[in-house]
Amino acid sequence: MPKPECEEALDRLFEYIDHELPEEEIHRIGEHLKECPPCEAEHKINEKIKRLVNRTGHDVAPEDLRDRILMTIRAARPDVGGN
Amino acid sequence: MTDTTDFDFEAEALGYMDQLYAAALRMTRNGADAEDLVQETFAKAFAGRDKFTPGTNLKAWLYRIQTNAFINTYRKKQREPKRSDAETVEDWQLAAAAEHTSSGLASAEDSALDALGDDEIRRALSELSEDFRMAVYLSDVEGFAYKEIAQIMDTPVGTVMSRLHRGRKLLREKLRDYAAERGLYERTPVKKDEDGGVCRA
Repeated sequence: MPKPECEEALDRLFEYIDHELPEEEIHRIGEHLKECPPCEAEHKINEKIKRLVNRTGHDVAPEDLRDRILMTIRAARPDVGGN
Repeated sequence: MTDTTDFDFEAEALGYMDQLYAAALRMTRNGADAEDLVQETFAKAFAGRDKFTPGTNLKAWLYRIQTNAFINTYRKKQREPKRSDAETVEDWQLAAAAEHTSSGLASAEDSALDALGDDEIRRALSELSEDFRMAVYLSDVEGFAYKEIAQIMDTPVGTVMSRLHRGRKLLREKLRDYAAERGLYERTPVKKDEDGGVCRA
């Protein structure tokens, strides 16, 4: 069974990775990760998955979408319709 | 000519177009619907631009509009089966405590992740149910804080955390499956303890 420090680290792991914890807790968990290889392994894996999701999540809109949006907006607003 | 405030709003809002499109793709999982959704989002944003307070978070405001537009217009059309997984905080807390894997397995999983392709990562995310998928997307890709995700998804912060925990756990399971299918990772068989009960090792 994991120790209480492990339980805290594993329970808070996502918040730790997402920078959602207060400074002192970040520090405490960070210290634990340094000395507990199994917890650090979990940390590394979850952080890696977050990075992978980030890397593959950026798409660029089709070229003509901006023009179509501008047309829609300007059609609804005669004050800027004429350029 | 229009006044300066209006002009800035247009330019600044359009600066988020690619990001909104990428999010719309995760919502609708379909390019044509994603384009329509983004167009609708901008139409609604411009129609309601007086309700936006300059200096506050424009990006989160636009995402909120898009999320609403998606729920109202597209979700009905998509007929995604309603998720049955119960979402309780206790649930993920219990699950998290059991997740202390052996170092050998962990390092095999770690290297398997490096060998997975971008398409597999995208596919795994797209297979999550909508609430999990969007929570993970908004956090991992857009870097929104939990509080902002809560506003965008119109849900308490606790629910956001629960969606993130469960969504990421499922995502990791899927990635393990893909890695195992490609022989990059060996899945541990589900162990039984001495009483014959299933142990979630």
